[in-house]
Amino acid sequence: MPSFAQLLVAVVQVLVLVAAAPLVSGFMRVLRAKMHTRHGPGPLQDYRDLFKLMKRQDLRPPASGFVFKIMPIVMPAALMVVAMGTPILTRATPIPAIGDLITTIYLFALARFFFALSGIDSGSSFAGVGASRELTLGVLVEPVMLLSLFVAALLAGSTNLGEIGAAVADGRMHSAAATLLAGCAFAFACYVELGKLPYDMAEAEQELQEGPLTEYSGPSLALIKWSMSLKQLLVVAWFIGVFLPFGNAADTSLPALALAFVVFVVKVVAIFFAVGIVENSVARARFRLTPRHSWLGVGVASLAFVFYLAGL
Amino acid sequence: MIDLALATILLPVLGAVLIALAPQPAAKSICRFFAGLALLSVLYLAYGFAAGGKVATERAFITLGDVEIVGFAVDTVSVLVAVAVVAIGFLVAIYSGGYFDVGNREHADIGRRRFWAFLLVFIGAMAGLVFTSTLVGQLVFFEITGACSWALIGYYEKPKALASALKALIITHIASIGLYVAASVLFLDTGTFSLSAIAQLPTGAKTVVMLAILVAAWGKSAQLPFHMWLPDAMEAPTPVSAYLHAASMVKVGVYIFARALMSSGGTPEIVGWVGTIMAVVTLVYGFVMYLPQADLKRLLAYSTITQLAYIFLGLSLSVFGSDLAFKGAIAHIFNHAFAKTLFFLIAGSLSYTAGTRMLPVLRGILAKSPVIGIGFTVAALAITGVPPFSGFFSKFAIFAGGFRVADAHPALMILVVVALLESVGSFAWFLKWVGWSVPGKPSETMAAAAPLPASMRLVLIVLIVMAVCSSFVATAWLG
Amino acid sequence: MNPFALLLTSLAISVVGAFASLLAARHEATAIRLAGLAGGLAGAAGLAAGLAALTGPVAVLDVVGPMPFARFVLRLDPLSGLMVAVISGLALVASLYSLAYVREYAGRGVGPMGFFMNLFIASMILVVVADNAFWFLVFFEMMSLASYFLVIFDQDDEAVSAGFLYFLVAHAGSVAIMAAFYLMADAAGSFDFAAFRAHPLQGTAASVAFLLGLVGFGAKAGMIPLHIWLPRAHPAAPSHASALMSGVMIKIGVFGIVKVAIDLLGGGVVWWGLLVLALGAISSVLGVVYALAEHDIKKLLAYHSVENVGIILLGVGTGMIGLASGQPLVAVLGLMAGLYHLVNHAVFKGLLFLGAGSVIYRMHTKDMEEMGGLAKTMPWTSLSFLVGALAISAIPPLNGFVSEWYTYQALFAAAFDGTFLVRFSTPIAATLLALTGALAVMCFVKAYGVIFSGAPRSHHAAEAREVPATMVAAMLLLAAACVALGLAAPLVAPVLGSVAAATLHLPAVTFADGAILLPGDAGRAVLSTPLIALLLLGLAALPMLLAAVFAVGRRIPRTTAAPWACGYLPDGHMTVSAGSFAQPIRMFFAPLYAIRRSADGAAADLGHGFDGFVCRARRSESLFDRSLVAPVEDAVARFGRRSQIIQGGDFRIYCLYIVAALVALLLVTLR
Repeated sequence: MPSFAQLLVAVVQVLVLVAAAPLVSGFMRVLRAKMHTRHGPGPLQDYRDLFKLMKRQDLRPPASGFVFKIMPIVMPAALMVVAMGTPILTRATPIPAIGDLITTIYLFALARFFFALSGIDSGSSFAGVGASRELTLGVLVEPVMLLSLFVAALLAGSTNLGEIGAAVADGRMHSAAATLLAGCAFAFACYVELGKLPYDMAEAEQELQEGPLTEYSGPSLALIKWSMSLKQLLVVAWFIGVFLPFGNAADTSLPALALAFVVFVVKVVAIFFAVGIVENSVARARFRLTPRHSWLGVGVASLAFVFYLAGL
Repeated sequence: MIDLALATILLPVLGAVLIALAPQPAAKSICRFFAGLALLSVLYLAYGFAAGGKVATERAFITLGDVEIVGFAVDTVSVLVAVAVVAIGFLVAIYSGGYFDVGNREHADIGRRRFWAFLLVFIGAMAGLVFTSTLVGQLVFFEITGACSWALIGYYEKPKALASALKALIITHIASIGLYVAASVLFLDTGTFSLSAIAQLPTGAKTVVMLAILVAAWGKSAQLPFHMWLPDAMEAPTPVSAYLHAASMVKVGVYIFARALMSSGGTPEIVGWVGTIMAVVTLVYGFVMYLPQADLKRLLAYSTITQLAYIFLGLSLSVFGSDLAFKGAIAHIFNHAFAKTLFFLIAGSLSYTAGTRMLPVLRGILAKSPVIGIGFTVAALAITGVPPFSGFFSKFAIFAGGFRVADAHPALMILVVVALLESVGSFAWFLKWVGWSVPGKPSETMAAAAPLPASMRLVLIVLIVMAVCSSFVATAWLG
Repeated sequence: MNPFALLLTSLAISVVGAFASLLAARHEATAIRLAGLAGGLAGAAGLAAGLAALTGPVAVLDVVGPMPFARFVLRLDPLSGLMVAVISGLALVASLYSLAYVREYAGRGVGPMGFFMNLFIASMILVVVADNAFWFLVFFEMMSLASYFLVIFDQDDEAVSAGFLYFLVAHAGSVAIMAAFYLMADAAGSFDFAAFRAHPLQGTAASVAFLLGLVGFGAKAGMIPLHIWLPRAHPAAPSHASALMSGVMIKIGVFGIVKVAIDLLGGGVVWWGLLVLALGAISSVLGVVYALAEHDIKKLLAYHSVENVGIILLGVGTGMIGLASGQPLVAVLGLMAGLYHLVNHAVFKGLLFLGAGSVIYRMHTKDMEEMGGLAKTMPWTSLSFLVGALAISAIPPLNGFVSEWYTYQALFAAAFDGTFLVRFSTPIAATLLALTGALAVMCFVKAYGVIFSGAPRSHHAAEAREVPATMVAAMLLLAAACVALGLAAPLVAPVLGSVAAATLHLPAVTFADGAILLPGDAGRAVLSTPLIALLLLGLAALPMLLAAVFAVGRRIPRTTAAPWACGYLPDGHMTVSAGSFAQPIRMFFAPLYAIRRSADGAAADLGHGFDGFVCRARRSESLFDRSLVAPVEDAVARFGRRSQIIQGGDFRIYCLYIVAALVALLLVTLR
């Protein structure tokens, strides 16, 4: 059972991430506007949108059932559990019992399960196609994630996220090349998981009308939009926690945590800046050709594995 | 004990004589009565034998000077096989009462006295062959069974039937040369025809005697190269096929070979090799010949050929030192007799009720007549060796013995593996026909079938029960 | 109570129930109740016996049987106790289910169905406790025989053909197992498993025996490439029989592999474990890929059984690798993961098949494309099916996730130090497991979604009702078991760990500490399913709270807004269907589907070749007659005709013959 301090850190983590998630998507929106030489709405626009949606009426298609109703609750709950287990401010995971790499991947799968199922449950064809694509992307991405994380775990000696991060931070990974390659593969997989161009398959703004989100409205839509921004932030935090843990607090003392928080913010901003630039410079990849891209990820992860095996 | 054996042999002959004198309508009842008497006699013999501690006894019957020409012996194996043969004879007699009837869709007939008389003589001759202890005795009964078989196969007196009967007689008679040679060599070397004298022969002469008996056995048991009479003998009425070509006449061959092995006190290995190789060749040939068959009785004829090949395989493997294979082969004689009789009588029931035994037109048997459908399935499973039915237990013993001796003689392993593969192939083929014929909607022919007479139904049920129990009986008896 | 007493009681009840059901065949309601009652009571007794044997000492029952060469020996050790518990538990639930379900088969022979079901259950239990090779084979084949009749029960062409393929593969498999046992018996001198254990085979003979056993038991387990019977046989049988076949019978195949490799042959060499690992990985991926392409619900579930057997074999293979390379932690961890997944799969696959059976009971079709929207009309069925779908997709905190987590940890532990081949293959196996997991999620979202969600796609679907109470109770029992096995994993894992350790004859490994699960070493990783469940439920409060806070003044939800269809009126045909949902996977994984197509093509070619062969056999049938009998007949006839010359016809010639003969004889005697 986690200690009180650990639990406190976990709760703080979750609240911070939850509160900051719309800010991140706001930041991305500002970046896009600037790149398009527009003025654009401010970074706090998403908060305003969410508050407005919360007060609207909830419309549901006649065919929808209880999965449609509970998905806006289940998805954020799953993501928040992941948030509790990821090492964001501290080196070690706040709650080791949920901080395992396999647990994290499968908790994301829980969120994806209900997300896709609600798409079918709405009875809308766009939502259904979006659900299908979302799951297909999961199929293409999860093996890459697992292989790259597995290589890192083998180098670190444990599948606990905090342990891997600590090993990277302390320089205990005896194959720098393998770690680097694994990090690249995992970064690629995370980018796909973010659901940004060129891989925003599920939403596919232009023709799929936001995919599984199509039929949601009012408070449900607010919760889901918020969960999606939370998910993006969480995926990046996951990547940072495992492969870029430098600056994280080694204990739970207040100064260390504060420093870790600042460093975290810097890292997140930098990464999202890079993501934003990439996202706004490309068009969406053709769905049919996505496997070619995912083969790239598989290739890099396999290379990492080979380097690990060879002991280089 | 020997007196009971003699009674078992002579009672049916007496019955046959009575039938010759009696009017036609009474023939059926006389036959059943005397067959029943013979069965009671042999069961009493078995009981007495078991109660007396299973001690083998022997008595000479006809002697010339001090040369034993014909004698009788009672021991474990002979009692077991005799019970099987006489019991099935009795069951077939009951069944035939229902079969030979104007209601028979395929062969309407009244059951002439010839049939009943020859059936009884055959039962007696088979009992005689099983109990006799000399080569000459075996020869005598061998030829008697050949003659009866000629009469019974040609019963319907059509040209094809008569030709098949003659073919059967001539081929088995040519094979009997083996017995003549064996008897002569034995007499020349030891001065007696008694089977127990084989053990005293020098190796060369023993090999000659054993191989000669093996050749005679092949002929009677329709093994390669003497097998061609059996499929054509299916012209006989189905009860005849069931009795002769499943339970008794074809068992003559394996029985004389088994007796010779038992009496030989250590057979030369060359006999084992010849027996095993020819058994496996026959096995494969028989299996390949299953494939084009559409007539159920011809399919069963080839199945008999392959099952007898299994028995020969078991007996030949026992030459290399496996007692388990020998016991398995004897048990298989017992099990196969009941299972194959069941299958043939099922074919007869189909002929009687539906008028045909061509499998492609017989479908949905279970829906129309549950007894025939269940019997068909049980018989197929028992023949191919699926537990809990009888065939599995004896086949397991034969293969177990085979693997044991193949440890010492690796070349045998190939033959045993081929036999195993054939077993799977047979299973597949029979399962395919079961799936085709038994479940589903009845075909036209089946839907128009007549009901089954009570006597036939009773016999089928008894045989279905035996298909499960016979291996337990056999192994308990053989120990 | 003495576990053997309970076990024999269970068997007796099954046998009596079987015959009672057959005798009562005329009164169908009585027959159904008798069969269900017998199955339930036997299941309860067997479950008690199995659970007692899990932790207790090894018990052996040894009587002289009817066969002198094979003693009738039964043995209840932890592994067989586990199997007995799983079989009996599922039999209990399936019998409860059958009380209402079998009414669907009224008029088609419910008496024989009860007969075969009960004999099937009894023979499965006897297989896992038999300790003599001969009796093992007898009960193994009887199990296949009983289930054969259940598969062909519908008696239509597809069922009969599926049954033929099933029984043929099962029988061929059991012949292979028989051969393996013969080899072992030659070294041991008798057919008792105790003798096999005391004198294990060595060297090449051991490998041959292992491969034969792997082929035979793998065919029963539905391992690729011996799985061809599974997708046809399981759908053809009645649903409660399919639940048992998929839930426990194929596990007996896995049990057999464990028995042959670990128990009887003593562990062997590393390549055995690698082979099992490889076959497991291939089975799991191909199984789920083929499942995705199905729109027959039972065929989809059957292919998933192939996948899950693959996952179990991943665990078993890792255990074998650990045993052969002298790494006790890896061995116990791997085997424990395999056993845990075995138990879990029995529970959730049984649940899914019963759920499918309920749906088919109301819809009278197996085609998913005709269902839809059943969650509203069949709420309990849909809830149970959802739990089953979540469990099989390994979603935390349910049981499927726990066993897959342990499998990952086993692969991880094995990848640490082993031979190069082991370190190479275990991470690849883990990646393939991840791929399988993702595909399984997709498949079950599709299955649940197409059947239960959205709008009804046909008339029947719109008019469906919930199924009778006994069927609902059975499904809910299994759903509760899924949840319990997941949340109570800290209690279950040590028990299964001790079973694995006992089977491997290695010291026990710590698998749990309080509410935390660990793979033997807390430094490696930890997991706590109760904590995850607690957090999920707790954190779900936050969004609900938020929504409630803002609910003041908000209008109540409206459900009359038709989904957007680009301005057209939405129509039932516009929604996603089973085929279209999985279409991207069919596109991206096309080569794997092509393998199946080419195998079908090869099978057709074989069929043509076979027909040609049969033709030639028919022509050669008369070969002996033509070449042996006919020439002899002709020769005899010719000789006869030639010798007729002697018969001149004129009596004077005959007198000449007599005189010539007399002269010749006189000359001879005078000499």
